[in-house]
Amino acid sequence: MFSITEEIECYIACITDSSLLPLMGMNIFLALLLFTVYLKAKSSVFRIFSFIAAQLSMVFAIGMVASAMQCSQMLTIEIYTAYVLASSAIILLLPCVYYKALIKRYRARPITEVMDWPQHFVNILSKKAEVYYYDSAVPRAFASGKAVFLSMGMLELMDESELKAILAHEVWHIRHNNKTPILRQLSIMTFTRNRSEDELELLADIFAGEVVSKDAVESARAKLN
Amino acid sequence: MVKLDRINLSNEGLTKFFSPIEAQIMEVLWTNEESATPEITAKTGIPLSSVAGTLDRLVKAGFATRKVDKKGQRVRYLYSAAESMDNTANTITKKVMDSLVDTFGKVAIENFHTYQNKK
Repeated sequence: MFSITEEIECYIACITDSSLLPLMGMNIFLALLLFTVYLKAKSSVFRIFSFIAAQLSMVFAIGMVASAMQCSQMLTIEIYTAYVLASSAIILLLPCVYYKALIKRYRARPITEVMDWPQHFVNILSKKAEVYYYDSAVPRAFASGKAVFLSMGMLELMDESELKAILAHEVWHIRHNNKTPILRQLSIMTFTRNRSEDELELLADIFAGEVVSKDAVESARAKLN
Repeated sequence: MVKLDRINLSNEGLTKFFSPIEAQIMEVLWTNEESATPEITAKTGIPLSSVAGTLDRLVKAGFATRKVDKKGQRVRYLYSAAESMDNTANTITKKVMDSLVDTFGKVAIENFHTYQNKK
């Protein structure tokens, strides 16, 4: 019969008797330290590497705990499986809900409330993307999940062709899902190719130039610089 | 509204109570009924990159109001001052006086009387 208290008692007994205890403690302390660095670090490269190092420290600590266990109970494996399932669910679900959090945060409204053509234009480029606007005079546009966000400042600053160029640029990011921070981190953690921010912006501009016109892209960039 | 910790008595004119950019924008808003963003940048001579964020702050603080004006397929903000310059001056003076009376009590009130008699 499964008893969590018995398993915890077994755990404490096995770990305190183990010669690996100081090493386990050091590994867990190191992991916590690295997680703190990850949370505090300003540079994205530093953040990613401290995150990977923290994860590796935790895996080593879990491995040592598993090897120290002399009883038959498998609480370590159960906890680790729960950890993997929970973190995988968060990683996979976050991109699907993150843009909804942004809609709330910016109190964004569907663009169709003020003008129709941007949504129609985006529908031609992507069936799933939705365009939102939000209340701010600062000209800004960004994409997240399946939403494109435009500030009112951007809407009043740009003419129609420039706005189309900006929308096409953002749709390119949606099509490639590369504006979702967690996915970009994953591409590094899985050693797959990850382009720099500048490269991504350039590729999005090239796409916008092909869809609208190079002049419109350059003119929009000039207004923003 | 004006925060007491932002008041700087050593500055000149409205910059005692507003940042220099805020003061210039407020002067435009007080002298014009409604202004669009390009008019504000033209009249103040301040670039959009500085004006836009300041306008957001003035609206948030309640000094300015804005509405969305739709013209065909284009939209723009129209800004106006939330209160006249006199009413804003009234609010600021009251706040400063309340603070002085709270801190110094009778001495502050006596000084106001002395000041009034001198005038």
